[in-house]
Amino acid sequence: MRRNTLASSVCALGLCAWLVAAQAITPAGQTLPEIPHPVAAPDFELKDLDGVPHRLTDYRGKVVVLNFWATWCPPCRYEMPSMQRGWAAAQADDIVFLGVNVGEDADTVFMFLADYSVEFPLLLDMDAKVIKQYQVVGLPTTYIIDPQGRLTHRVVGSREWDDAALLKVLRGLLPKP
Amino acid sequence: MLGFMRLQSMINSDWTRALPWKSWQPGLGGVLLAMAGGVMAQTEISTGIDAEAGLPYWEIHAPGMSLRLVQRLPDQTRAFFLARGFARTDADVIARSCVFQTIFKNTSQTVRPSALEYNLRDWRVRVASAVRGLKTREDWAEAWASRGVPQAARIAFEWALLPTRQVYNPGDYNWGMSVFNLPPDSRFDLDVVWQQYGARRAEVLKDIHCAPDASTPIAPTPATPAATKAP
Repeated sequence: MRRNTLASSVCALGLCAWLVAAQAITPAGQTLPEIPHPVAAPDFELKDLDGVPHRLTDYRGKVVVLNFWATWCPPCRYEMPSMQRGWAAAQADDIVFLGVNVGEDADTVFMFLADYSVEFPLLLDMDAKVIKQYQVVGLPTTYIIDPQGRLTHRVVGSREWDDAALLKVLRGLLPKP
Repeated sequence: MLGFMRLQSMINSDWTRALPWKSWQPGLGGVLLAMAGGVMAQTEISTGIDAEAGLPYWEIHAPGMSLRLVQRLPDQTRAFFLARGFARTDADVIARSCVFQTIFKNTSQTVRPSALEYNLRDWRVRVASAVRGLKTREDWAEAWASRGVPQAARIAFEWALLPTRQVYNPGDYNWGMSVFNLPPDSRFDLDVVWQQYGARRAEVLKDIHCAPDASTPIAPTPATPAATKAP
């Protein structure tokens, strides 16, 4: 209680900006909220639409944009084209996009792809076990995983993933050449 | 391994609670901040027709947040859940429970950034003199398990509903269905509660109208798999 009162009082003094200073806001008004203390991303293995298994640790050394989504989710559908553009713009930079579909089968996702061009891997989390590991409660949720395999950012809701400022943040996580 | 255990530990304890801005309770400082920032004074509540859905909406616009409830027709909801593996009788139960599409946003990045937190269990539905809570994902999950609803359908249902509890950082938002557990064509008031800027905020959306059900419920027949299910 004492701590809460102190926190509120500090805030009243206008000193609380640091608490959310990690919210990078792009010129387009987008945010990429940081996780204050990055932790190791839980490993998983999921199959893509062709039945090929993908293990998260296979992507160690790269920045991973891990997007949890479903075909019926309006914000998920909204952001998918910008994810495709973001992937196209960043794939040469060791930045990987992985879409984890929650609870649907390959046929359903194939039908979705009739309307949306997506070239990055779409993985199937049919029993929703992986999404639970990541403590996601709403779709879409996207985690950024740094080259060391740590969760560094969490985004709830859609973003324009081809925004140059967001891509700059992702590139900033890569080792300096 | 240690990192994974740490995440697990944070997950088990709701790791987002580790975020510093989340643990505040309303204190004098928070109230002063809210007043100084004009947070209390600028809330707008409105209703109208949602341009995309063509259906009525009820909306709160407060500094740093917006919440819009868009009416859903029972047939829309019925079709959505039928397409995701629910039997007709179960889809009817949802469709006739007063469902709204809910769009809840933390818009504070445009004013003064602050995380936003809510718990649907704090919200109240007022109908005449009765006061009740919402029916959450967890409440429904028990019902679906006892009715033998397939796993894929239960997963779709869980993720289609607005999260029971959520933390939105600036710029974050969710869409999700809210189920008010009232008959079609009902009217109700809704107490909306959230935490932001170190203070508890509450507003009331008045005279929200559940859509009427235009369709005639179909009595299950012996040939329908749903007819063999327990009620």
